[in-house]
Amino acid sequence: MTTLTRQDLNFGQVVADILCEFLEVAIHLILYVREVYPSGIFQKRKKYNVPVQMSCHPELNQYIQDTLHCVKPLIEKNDAEKVVVVIMDKEHHPVERFVFEISQPPLLSISSDMLLSHVEQLLRAFILKISVCDAVLNNNPPGCSFTVLVHTRDAATRNMEKVQVIKDFPWIVADEQEVQMKEPRLIPLKSMTSDIVKMQLYVEERAQKT
Amino acid sequence: ASETKEEKTELSASSGSDKVILLPCRNPPSCERVQLWLEARKQYDILEKDK
Repeated sequence: MTTLTRQDLNFGQVVADILCEFLEVAIHLILYVREVYPSGIFQKRKKYNVPVQMSCHPELNQYIQDTLHCVKPLIEKNDAEKVVVVIMDKEHHPVERFVFEISQPPLLSISSDMLLSHVEQLLRAFILKISVCDAVLNNNPPGCSFTVLVHTRDAATRNMEKVQVIKDFPWIVADEQEVQMKEPRLIPLKSMTSDIVKMQLYVEERAQKT
Repeated sequence: ASETKEEKTELSASSGSDKVILLPCRNPPSCERVQLWLEARKQYDILEKDK
């Protein structure tokens, strides 16, 4: 077994690549399952060896990609504590929050080539849970939109700045009341522990959506 | 409440390790905009088939 630190072999970059690829699929799927956009823009694809729905709307796809490009440097440095997909009603009040809580171990133990396929299996379970989460959630009101939040540290935001400028995709600090819900219903969906990342996904749902 | 957007945008102004929540300035395309695109694409597909 080889034990590497975060600084070795750009391992943080590899983890960030894996997580951002997963988050991209997850965001598309959440938007489809929660009917934020018309189902006609989604096409069936195969990711992690399971069918998923991915948008074919160029502007939306670019938006999701740009968002994750900015988030990636934070994940790479282990500075993204949570990535949250927030679904908001017409008045821009959150109705649902899909919270991806991420933590990475300081030492990375790489045991074999099986590592990536094992992580893929774990991520597949998340995708499957998201694809059936509508069964445990109440319907959203019509006219919803979404945004992506990142919980990080003040000092870590420097890691994003260069990407923000390149991508012309600036970020701002959110007001707590803009993004939080009062007494939400908590629905745990999935958690995983692997050698390279620990992650749990839960949904916070507003009690009264309409 | 009087904090301006410019002040908020200066993400590196403070150097502490306080937790912050960031969100993009830009919004994703609206559902209406996407719906219009979808209808236009359907019409385009019909025209292409008729050619």
